[in-house]
Amino acid sequence: MDGKGFFIDLTRCTACRGCQVACKQWHNHPAEDTRNWGSFQNPPDLSYVTYKLVRMEEYVENGQVKDWLFFPDQCRHCIQPPCKMVGDMDDERAILQDFDTGAVLFTERTNNLFFDEILASCPYDIPRLDEATNLQGKCDMCFDRVINDKLPACVLVCPTGAMNFGDLDEMRQMADERLEVVKEEFPNAVLGDPNALRVIVLFHREPTRFHHAAVASLHGPGRFTRKQAFAKMFGNRKALI
Amino acid sequence: MKLGRREFIKLSATATAVTAFAGLGFNMQPSTAKARLLKTHWAKETTSICAFCSVGCGLLVHTDTSGSGRVINIEGDPEHPINEGSLCAKGAALAQTLENENRITTVKYRAPNTDQWVDAPWSWALQRIAQRVKEARDETFEESNGDGQVVNRTEGIAHIGSAEIDNEENWCLQAIMRSFGLVYIEHQARI
Repeated sequence: MDGKGFFIDLTRCTACRGCQVACKQWHNHPAEDTRNWGSFQNPPDLSYVTYKLVRMEEYVENGQVKDWLFFPDQCRHCIQPPCKMVGDMDDERAILQDFDTGAVLFTERTNNLFFDEILASCPYDIPRLDEATNLQGKCDMCFDRVINDKLPACVLVCPTGAMNFGDLDEMRQMADERLEVVKEEFPNAVLGDPNALRVIVLFHREPTRFHHAAVASLHGPGRFTRKQAFAKMFGNRKALI
Repeated sequence: MKLGRREFIKLSATATAVTAFAGLGFNMQPSTAKARLLKTHWAKETTSICAFCSVGCGLLVHTDTSGSGRVINIEGDPEHPINEGSLCAKGAALAQTLENENRITTVKYRAPNTDQWVDAPWSWALQRIAQRVKEARDETFEESNGDGQVVNRTEGIAHIGSAEIDNEENWCLQAIMRSFGLVYIEHQARI
């Protein structure tokens, strides 16, 4: 079994933010102080208590707003998570990857890790730090729900079918089929890093228009930190750091 | 080992090569996470209908069975034909109407000609509301209109409902307001 995966179809997202709220509700996360900062995207960024955020960007061409782009952002649950590679150098139990589902989980031992390194290792700008406890947090794939045969909160709540969840191979097939349909209207539509991630996002316009870290490959090569490179070369032997 | 610029470049090149070919050989550490119990595992599950709009989405409400009876979780009911489990942002936050430390749980009373809100006891507030309703109704109740038709109504009282009360509570309110003879029964959504 390939484990589980998401398929996020951005052509269907209406930015109702049901997923964002359902995520908070299931995780019992508190609200954040928000203010009008010129965008409906609120809170402005992910945080230790905001695992899921609907990003909103205006697509402006020749001074005219052509489209309003919505992107429900969350951890992509990489099949080979670089955050875990880096984290394992300091504490192998801080970041776990579940064998059956493939979920990448930050535990209460993440305070043994260096946040700057973990954040730098993430191509999608996902992990966030709680200053008070030095713990790091991000989407946990609603791991407790998934292993109890329930859908993740964000997927269950989605009224439009933008958020989908299931076995990874099924999600990949669903993404491929939907891409074919969407390409008729949006020739530039792409799937974001579909072979490396458990969260496959269908972008109907260029991914960077949605968010600067929407896909990893756009950063080009050389995103590996030295620590990551060493981790790959020598395994996880702390003596070599 | 002395790491000069030349050695560093060599090492970087090696690292890149190893990275390129070692992609599939990544050493999977034992990384199985422990199974976790759902927070709703011991909860009582009841169905309800979302109070906010006329779509009428079905809900699963999980309440504590250990004594407090408070709400633990509210989520969409996957078996409900209207929403099939989905909810909007307001519906997804419905539990907050019950479980939120910012809720006002005491009666706030502002006496005429003051700008101060004070806490008042429930017993006093209910008594006072009943008294004022009785007075207003007695003064304005009309059994028939100008044409002699029986109307049994009062136009001296209005009622404003809330979007956060559910179907059953609405039924009770509607019944009691109609029995008083109110005709102006309004809802927050139209304000």
